[in-house]
Amino acid sequence: MKTAFTAAQLADPGIAAADGILRTCVHYGFCTAVCPTYVLTRDENEAPRGRIDLIRAMLERGGRPDAKTVGHIDSCLSCNACMTTCAVDVDYLHLADIARAFIEDHYRRPLGDRLLRRLVARIVTDPARFSRMSRLAKLARPVRALLPGRLRTLVDFAPAALPPRRDIAGVHPAEGAWRMRVALLQGCVQQALAPEINAATIRLLTRHGVEVVVPPDAGCCGAFTLHMGKADLARAAAARNVDAWYAELERGGLDAVVVNASGCGTVVKDYARLFAEDPARRKKAAALAAIARDVTELLTPDDLRLPETAVPLTVAYHDACSLQHAQNIRTEPRVLLRAAGFEVRDVPEGHFCCGSAGAYNMLQPEMAGALGRRKAAHIDSTGAMAVAAGNLGCLAQLGRFTGLPMLHTVELLDWATGGPLPEALRDIALPEPVARAKSPDPAAAPAAPPPAPSEGSSGAAIW
Amino acid sequence: MSMDAFLNDAANGLGAEHVNTADETLTRYGENTMPGGDRRPAAVLYPGSTEEVAALVRLANLHKVPLFPTSTGNNMGLGTRSAPAAGMAVLDLGRRMNRILEIDDTLGFAAVEPGVSFQMLADELKRRGGQWINSTTSGPPQGGMIGNALDKGAGYGPYFDHFGFSCGMEVVLGTGDVIRTGDGSIEADSLVNWHVSKYSFGPILDGLFAQSNYGIVTRLGVWLLPRPPAIRSFHFGFPDDGDLEEIVELCRPMKMSNFVPTLFRVANDLYLIGSEVPSPAYAASGGRESISDDARKALQREHGLGAWTVSGAFYGPSMAAMEPQIERVVDHFCASGKATYIPHEAALEKPALACAVASFSGEPTLIELGLLKWRPGGGNAWFTPGTPMDGKVANEFQKLGRAIYEANGLDYQVMNVAGPRFARGLHVISFNREDPDEAARADAAYRALADAFYARGVAVGRAPVDWQDFHMDKLMPSFRDACAAIKRALDPNGVIAPGRYGIT
Repeated sequence: MKTAFTAAQLADPGIAAADGILRTCVHYGFCTAVCPTYVLTRDENEAPRGRIDLIRAMLERGGRPDAKTVGHIDSCLSCNACMTTCAVDVDYLHLADIARAFIEDHYRRPLGDRLLRRLVARIVTDPARFSRMSRLAKLARPVRALLPGRLRTLVDFAPAALPPRRDIAGVHPAEGAWRMRVALLQGCVQQALAPEINAATIRLLTRHGVEVVVPPDAGCCGAFTLHMGKADLARAAAARNVDAWYAELERGGLDAVVVNASGCGTVVKDYARLFAEDPARRKKAAALAAIARDVTELLTPDDLRLPETAVPLTVAYHDACSLQHAQNIRTEPRVLLRAAGFEVRDVPEGHFCCGSAGAYNMLQPEMAGALGRRKAAHIDSTGAMAVAAGNLGCLAQLGRFTGLPMLHTVELLDWATGGPLPEALRDIALPEPVARAKSPDPAAAPAAPPPAPSEGSSGAAIW
Repeated sequence: MSMDAFLNDAANGLGAEHVNTADETLTRYGENTMPGGDRRPAAVLYPGSTEEVAALVRLANLHKVPLFPTSTGNNMGLGTRSAPAAGMAVLDLGRRMNRILEIDDTLGFAAVEPGVSFQMLADELKRRGGQWINSTTSGPPQGGMIGNALDKGAGYGPYFDHFGFSCGMEVVLGTGDVIRTGDGSIEADSLVNWHVSKYSFGPILDGLFAQSNYGIVTRLGVWLLPRPPAIRSFHFGFPDDGDLEEIVELCRPMKMSNFVPTLFRVANDLYLIGSEVPSPAYAASGGRESISDDARKALQREHGLGAWTVSGAFYGPSMAAMEPQIERVVDHFCASGKATYIPHEAALEKPALACAVASFSGEPTLIELGLLKWRPGGGNAWFTPGTPMDGKVANEFQKLGRAIYEANGLDYQVMNVAGPRFARGLHVISFNREDPDEAARADAAYRALADAFYARGVAVGRAPVDWQDFHMDKLMPSFRDACAAIKRALDPNGVIAPGRYGIT
């Protein structure tokens, strides 16, 4: 795509970066088929290709963006399915971030919109505030009908009850033979909404010889605010993590920064770019980004200490967009879950977003609801007894649309290797434990592991 | 012609939300990757059923409006969604007619609508237990099954011939009449043989709807392959361009006996490497020159691939059980000492060969899309001649094709997909469409290639939209007359894709 920026515009590093990205797009259009908003609307401006054109025009024109452009950028999930399918590697992720920051700087949203976005940014990124607001929302629930529509949405999203907070800051020593030392991102809303995920992660890792450090000053990764165009807020949050983790790195060494919320992992892995213009933190951020890992990248099936028996629970594995599209992690969670004894089923249309997308389901509830229902129907069609995913946002979103127990991958792995039964599974009838099969010969596996043929099918018998 | 009146009536029938005339939509539906430029349609409509398609065809007859039906996917290198001419009303069947209508787990077939992609059917087969696989192309997962079959597209496994392994259609003719082909044509409540028997009473009409504009296919039966418990691929690298002669001689007997159940993918260096990296030589000449032999050799070394790489696969009960077949094929290909064997596990580490393995396994993949960025600027066209499986002829053809690419400053990228008697040669013409000179050279190269191959008795398998007239003009006059006569009989007002495949 040709662009027409002036030399003065290109002096701005953001515009220069956008120009480089825009020039790579040649309008092949593979992105449209996988873009959730395009598939649901068939509006070209609701597809990455159309949005790229709108961003180009907005940045070239400069000044105040028009409301139509802002609306189409706001409605993008940033699921990055377009990047997985793009034949020419258009870096849409960063182009969207640049566009959102530009909008934040140059566009004055209507008052209600401004207040809502400010509220969401403040609530979600601070666990204490999230807890207080959840209690407030609970009180407001009986009068929700009297609230303005957007506030009603927030009340609807608030959990009915929050589990007790757990203070996990500090050092969690490795059990058995020491393998490595890692820092764990404890995150923001996850601390309040699902503390069991961090607890399971710590148990799983320490049980497998990993020393886990949780610096008290580290917290929100900045993803929420970054994708809302509030880059300064995002950098401020991320800076606290960089400082805290780098101090740990210098103090005791770090083999990895472990993240168990893939939306956060995507941003932490990109800290080098986030701090590219910050001379004080540029190198530190790059060093930490280089060792950032999703928790499922840290262990292999051979590492797992498995008991003699396994519970062959059938699990639908949902690929979080931030794992599959942004981090290219699809195989690792499945391999670990299968090794742990679970029967893992793929969800049809797996490339499609569930509608969570950070704060998206709060800011764009209609589209998010349509996507959530669509994904839940696919999940239900698998016949699985539970759902696993590597991102809290997806678990919370899908929990609203499917009645199945929702679990983080680490909760299942923790349970399978000696941890407690996850809370979400307490009320369902579990399959009887079975003797664990010996590790299959990897050479016996076909190239692309298919599900086992159904019983009595024409599968193995004829070969 | 009254497009406005047609759209008004169409909106009344379909609902206004299913008639799209947004400027952005029309621009995008007119775009393609060809040198000849874009062709903006007048509208895009989204019918939801065969009945709605038939109603739109009748309306098109009433208002004398040309329709251009599309299924789903991208048709990259062949015209994307561009009609033969601007101003047509696109019937996008992919948006709403995307249902898998039937899957028969006993007889192994599926019946699909035009919007069903390879990925959608693969997902559904997996969800049902994974006992079947559908043959896929090595193109994008969102490719449309019906569109691909009707354009004579292909996969790589035993059911590679997507038109040949289809059975039973529902078609809206140019009059608006609806027919069912084969055993579907009888008047009965239960059409048990529609998608399992091709040749019962009456003429076999199905072929009329492959690469034609005689009707709009709204349902197609496709046959499914039982999923083998294990798939073990094998690959051989050959060092020299001229080794194609030996390769073809080696492949032929293996396919004649069907010892190897898949087709052979015989891909040259730049076809495979191009799916992984952009041309490292493009910038130096600004796209005016072909990549040098020295640069190609360097790329071959860097990527661990030969001038040619042959890929195939066995299906069996386990990887170990296929060891004897692997030994046999290795002995066969390595007998002359020129071939380097690349085992299955090593191939999975190379994206370009992993793509072959996925294709043999019925797994849709994105890997080969990398070819589309070999040169910048988004120009891409496929030239698809074929060669008899005679090594000397195949080698003559590759020298001929390579020389024409080089004369036009383009890079020779080809994969021969080889069966027992014939191999289709997928020639990729990658060019910078934003550079008028390079686009003109791409056009010149395509025409020169076609002229040279036609002179040797070779037609193309599939034709990009820019050159469909050109190809039709090369066929014998009586054949062209017959095509036109059928068009007049089935679509007397010529409302369905006039000019598509050169048929008016």
